[in-house]
Amino acid sequence: MIAYKFLGEGKVAPFSGVTWPDQGEWLEVETVDPCRVGVHACRIAQLPYWLRPELWEVELDGEVVEGELMVVAPRGRLVRRVEAWNRDTEREFGEACAAEARKRVERSPELELFAVDVEQTAASATAFAAFATARLAELQDGPPGYDAERLRQARWLAGALAL
Amino acid sequence: MKLSRDLTCAEVVELVTEYLEGGLSSHDRERFEEHLGFCDWCVTYLEQMRQTIETTGRLREEDIDPELQDALIEAFRGWRSG
Repeated sequence: MIAYKFLGEGKVAPFSGVTWPDQGEWLEVETVDPCRVGVHACRIAQLPYWLRPELWEVELDGEVVEGELMVVAPRGRLVRRVEAWNRDTEREFGEACAAEARKRVERSPELELFAVDVEQTAASATAFAAFATARLAELQDGPPGYDAERLRQARWLAGALAL
Repeated sequence: MKLSRDLTCAEVVELVTEYLEGGLSSHDRERFEEHLGFCDWCVTYLEQMRQTIETTGRLREEDIDPELQDALIEAFRGWRSG
């Protein structure tokens, strides 16, 4: 299956510290256990949770295990880097989160500080800005609000990056 | 334990050893990593813990100077009583 993977600069996985092999070469593990062992990636709807400097389209092979926020497989390889994800689109994504947060606090002025946080972190800590916007939505609309906002963010990314 | 979505940095710090030792359930690991997904400070802390464990894991008792051993034992006693 085709999935997506955010990596640090130099194709470094954010939590394990593993450097992915060159494009086309397989990264393999013997067993799969989500969040412990396996080749971790995500679907488009899960992208906003894992923002990092590099976004790659990856091919997963073998039995794929579905997590709430990720997919995990015994084998995976980098297919192509999504060049459209760069500092400019990251900044635009942060600005879109800030605009959403600003719109939301118009109906909940008591949550004004969330909009301030999102505006202040939109450019420098975009992943946090996205999270704070989703939390704001959750405080307004309950837990489904969080998921709906994350989905809105995923749609924004899919559109901007032509995924 | 079932961690909530609004996990705080302080909770992450408390759970980091359990995370590194594989003691969290799949659900809790996912929540833990969701926090790491937007919190660079906790990612840095996790990396520091990994490096500390890796470094101290190579130490043998005889590698540590006796005076330093005494100071460490004293510090741990103080920490427990404090």
